[in-house]
Amino acid sequence: MQRLVHSVFLLTLFLVAGIATVASAQEGGALAGVAAGSSADYFHNLIGVVTGNWQEYGQLFTFLQGEWFWKIFLAIITVVPTVFFLHYMIIGAKHFDHDGPQIYFFSLYARIVHFVAAISFSLLVVTGLMIIFGSFLGGGSLIRLARYTHLVSAIVFALPCVMMFMMWLKDMLPQLHDIKWMFILGGYLSKKKVPVPAAKFNAGQKMYFWFAIFGGGVMAFTGYIIWGMGADIETVRLLTIIHNVLGMGIVAFYLTHVYMSVFAIAGSLESIKTGYKPKEEVDILHSLHKYE
Amino acid sequence: MTNSLNDIRHAKSMIFIGSNAPEAHPISMQHILYAKEKNNAPIIVVDPRRTKLAAKGTDYVRIRPGTDAAFMLGLINAIVTNGWEDKEFIRTRVSGYEEMVAVAKDYTPEEVENITGIPASETLRIAELLANNRPTSLTWCMGGTQHHIGSSITRTFCILQLVLGNMGKSGGGTNIFRGHDNVQGATDMGILADTLPAYYGLAEGSWKHWCKVWDVDYEWIAGRFKSKEDMSKPGFTLARWYEGVLGEEKIYQDTPIKALVQWGCGSNSNSQYTRVKRAYDKLDLLVIVDPFPTMAAVACETDNVYLLPSASQYETSGSVSSTSRQIQWRNKVVDPVHNCKDDYQIMELLVKKLGFAEPFYKNIKQLPEDITRELGKGSLTIGYNGQTPERIKLHMENWHTFDVDTLQAIGGPCDGEYYGLPWPCWTEEHPGTPILYDVSKSVAKGGLPFRNRFGDEMKYEASGRVENQLAAKGVCNPGSEVEGGYSEFKDVVPGTNWKTDLSQKTIKDAIARGMAPFGNARARCVVWNFPDQVPIHREPLHTPRPDLIAKYPTFKDKPDHFRVDTRFESEQKPDLVKEFPYVITTGRMVEHMGAGAETRSNQYLAELQPEMYAEINPRLANDLGIRDGSMMTVESPEGAKITVKAFHTERVDEKTIFLPYHFAGILQGKSYADKYPEGTAPYVVGEVGNAVTNYGYDIITQIQATKDGLCKIAKA
Amino acid sequence: MARVKFLCDVDRCIDCSGCVVACKEGNHVPVGVNRRRVITLDQGKPGEKSISVSCMHCADAPCIAVCPVDAIYQRADGIVLVNKKTCIGCGYCFMACPFGAPQFPKGNVFGARGAMDKCTFCAGGPEEDFSAEEKHLYGQNRIAEGKVPLCAGMCATKALLAGDADIVADVYRERVFQRGSGVNAWGWSKAYKE
Repeated sequence: MQRLVHSVFLLTLFLVAGIATVASAQEGGALAGVAAGSSADYFHNLIGVVTGNWQEYGQLFTFLQGEWFWKIFLAIITVVPTVFFLHYMIIGAKHFDHDGPQIYFFSLYARIVHFVAAISFSLLVVTGLMIIFGSFLGGGSLIRLARYTHLVSAIVFALPCVMMFMMWLKDMLPQLHDIKWMFILGGYLSKKKVPVPAAKFNAGQKMYFWFAIFGGGVMAFTGYIIWGMGADIETVRLLTIIHNVLGMGIVAFYLTHVYMSVFAIAGSLESIKTGYKPKEEVDILHSLHKYE
Repeated sequence: MTNSLNDIRHAKSMIFIGSNAPEAHPISMQHILYAKEKNNAPIIVVDPRRTKLAAKGTDYVRIRPGTDAAFMLGLINAIVTNGWEDKEFIRTRVSGYEEMVAVAKDYTPEEVENITGIPASETLRIAELLANNRPTSLTWCMGGTQHHIGSSITRTFCILQLVLGNMGKSGGGTNIFRGHDNVQGATDMGILADTLPAYYGLAEGSWKHWCKVWDVDYEWIAGRFKSKEDMSKPGFTLARWYEGVLGEEKIYQDTPIKALVQWGCGSNSNSQYTRVKRAYDKLDLLVIVDPFPTMAAVACETDNVYLLPSASQYETSGSVSSTSRQIQWRNKVVDPVHNCKDDYQIMELLVKKLGFAEPFYKNIKQLPEDITRELGKGSLTIGYNGQTPERIKLHMENWHTFDVDTLQAIGGPCDGEYYGLPWPCWTEEHPGTPILYDVSKSVAKGGLPFRNRFGDEMKYEASGRVENQLAAKGVCNPGSEVEGGYSEFKDVVPGTNWKTDLSQKTIKDAIARGMAPFGNARARCVVWNFPDQVPIHREPLHTPRPDLIAKYPTFKDKPDHFRVDTRFESEQKPDLVKEFPYVITTGRMVEHMGAGAETRSNQYLAELQPEMYAEINPRLANDLGIRDGSMMTVESPEGAKITVKAFHTERVDEKTIFLPYHFAGILQGKSYADKYPEGTAPYVVGEVGNAVTNYGYDIITQIQATKDGLCKIAKA
Repeated sequence: MARVKFLCDVDRCIDCSGCVVACKEGNHVPVGVNRRRVITLDQGKPGEKSISVSCMHCADAPCIAVCPVDAIYQRADGIVLVNKKTCIGCGYCFMACPFGAPQFPKGNVFGARGAMDKCTFCAGGPEEDFSAEEKHLYGQNRIAEGKVPLCAGMCATKALLAGDADIVADVYRERVFQRGSGVNAWGWSKAYKE
């Protein structure tokens, strides 16, 4: 319970800090105190009045968005699947006996929430990538539709996001054995079925959870500001950089999650549909999970 | 304007008093800035506000509103004391100089500082700047005229230019920028209360002259008036017509005014607007002819209002006169749209209905060319007779042949003529007069001496000195038969003078002899028919400096001043400042025009200036707890109170509140926006600034004193 | 081919907003979209200066670099234009622009920004010259008519110059050169009077 309080506190702190940054930046951009001396000073002041200090974030944004973002995203969506493809080829998927005893792992409520989250989150990722690679798709109404879908998906995702947070918070709190899990990378590098240290959720799922919750919060906040240009231009530039950089991590985790659920653990897609996991799978991959 | 906008390019210095050209006359700025850049001419801006012109100027002098005359006399005194006056110009072309200097010598730099707030050293510095950079172009606008001593203030401007010898010179002159499109033409056509077209006055002879021009029987015209006395009596002025309706002041007319036609008049430029509004309600008939419904259309709450939608300038054609006295021809771009009619059609329908179309249109068969011809035929005083529609159109078509610096055509069909044939253009061969009173050119080539209008000799009351009013020997235009001063021409055709000889033989004879039809005289510093023969400073009626009233009191009250009693002495209350401690002044903003009915109906201009506001110094505002952008009230001694947005700016000093006067649609908090006919409400409505402008009218012209009233303000 | 440029002479700009209104009227720009603005510094104080700002048609335009859909392009004469049919209204160009030039009219979906609108140097857009579609989307194409942009054409004091960068620079250089001349030039009184 104490951890829960701490986590909520941290989250709140983070959001407050973000809002404060925006607010202070808005105040800073005013006309105040521009006494022009030399003409260089004059033009410096002028530019400051027109669109803030471009050289602070404007230049950085232009450089990153113009040169790097799309390349990095391209790398992520090619390298990550390639790695997983190799993993699939070399190590292969884990197969567990789906005909054996089943453990009721996900309640109906959890499954519905997860389902809504999965759809909207996937749409967010896909439409986000569509916007980033808009020029390859020709722009225009298709990408405009992607933007609108991005917004709608974000709004839809917010609800299950909050629900998952409430629902799984306790199970997702970091524990000591997570470090061990990390050291062996969840046993995914071996074909052997050795019980790995994980309770209901393993360290990878926890990382993804926290990335999705915190990252999602940040993405929602930054996205909201970018959508409506609801801050001064300097802040918007900074938030756009954050939105993109965080997006890279989220895409990477998303791809991982997809790989794990669809390919790496055969039948896990079924589990989230029916709510049942094979007892064997639970015993191995979630060896510390207590079930009746 | 004695010179032209383009001629300002030749100025070696410029002084602007009560003129904010970038906002009121942005087009003129190209010439002003050209002179600044090309001639390195200083731009001296004298204004209660640090205006946009001050931003472009080189020297800014902040003056207390209404004290312009004191500053000018101070400059004159400083110039004379230091011997910087143009002695030869004064000796040969100025009269009453000694009497004027005797008055000006009281305005020492220290006294000027006491009156105007301008440091003594600044007065001396500006005087030296003007003396060292001749010729100076002097410009004033409404900031110089809208005072109860407006006529005196403007005279001090002229006298300064005479003392510096800047009159009749390229780059010099008194250049009063006219405030509206074709306002020079409107004035020339006699919209004033005391004159027929072309400044002929209202005397019997003037009526007879115009009856001859119109080719109608004088007795018939006279018969339309109640009496011949009425015919020659100045009417109500635009500034105070409403007194003739309200009956609150004693009026000198048999009946109150019952009907009013406002043709192209944005009524909210009237001061004391709350009283104007009451007058509208009391009228039996109000007719408004305008492309846009004006404030009057909604402020009048009776149903005796008729709105006649008129065409804009793009939907009609005709001659117009610019501020540089140039006549231009305006061509129609589109036919009148919607249900509007052009002014000619409206007038024609009105005249027909009133039943005197036959005499009215006797000379006018072709619209509008014949109108220009008819007015030119009669307007000999100001030489409108040379500008035939054909010549004007030829100028428009050969626009490119005129030189931007001299305004003279180089080659082409208009070779040698000045653009727009600036009046006086004495004959159909005359090139126009680009600079008034310029004796360096022959009269036939556009030169002129000073006009001989007030006799040949005068004995001054103040000094007892007798002075010849004609120019000194040797001063005349090249080729003049008389080498020196001469009287105006008369009796060339027996029984007529140059102004009334419709055959124009008198004018042609004079020009053939190298002489000006109106004589060659001196410019007067003493005007013996004015209450102040030499202009002096008098404290504003509502003054923030009651201690100066004893030394600079206003005039005695004036009865029957344009048919209504006008208060001066009895209105100047020393205690007023205790309750109303701040000076209120009004003016323009560049985005809106005049009363704003047109510009507030333009979405883009409305977007740029969407709100009525009051300029207030941040120090004063903070002392009173009025935040930037919050609402404040402004209340006049007459009891009107408006609520407007506070705009913190150091343009104004800590004792002055500035209001733009373009807004209308809301009067003392009550909105009339829903009263506009459907679809015609302007995008922007705002408090009428003139609701709180004070009582006060010029002793000669009765112009309203909107620039130097008092007010009290508070947080709303 | 010469590259076009705007130059606003701050010693001449009188803050009349004539350029702004000319642009809006001439190109039927919606209210709220400012292809051009006049910025005043130190309003009402000594040293007050104004400048008219719009898209500067940068040689190496940041907006082009950041556009995710390549809707912005540069013509051979340096004019930077946007293809409104490709633009998705993401606003990145606005974030990249040092002059605040890109403008976004309100779109009709979820308050989204519509296609970006900015100064076209009065050169229309990618559609066929003088076509109704070009006029509707971008306004006039005065460049194709051989005219200067409306704003510069309307400038009362000729503060705003537009056209071939070399000529604009020459005009301005000549002005600056003239400004130090005449009887009030530095040293004049020493050299010629005392």
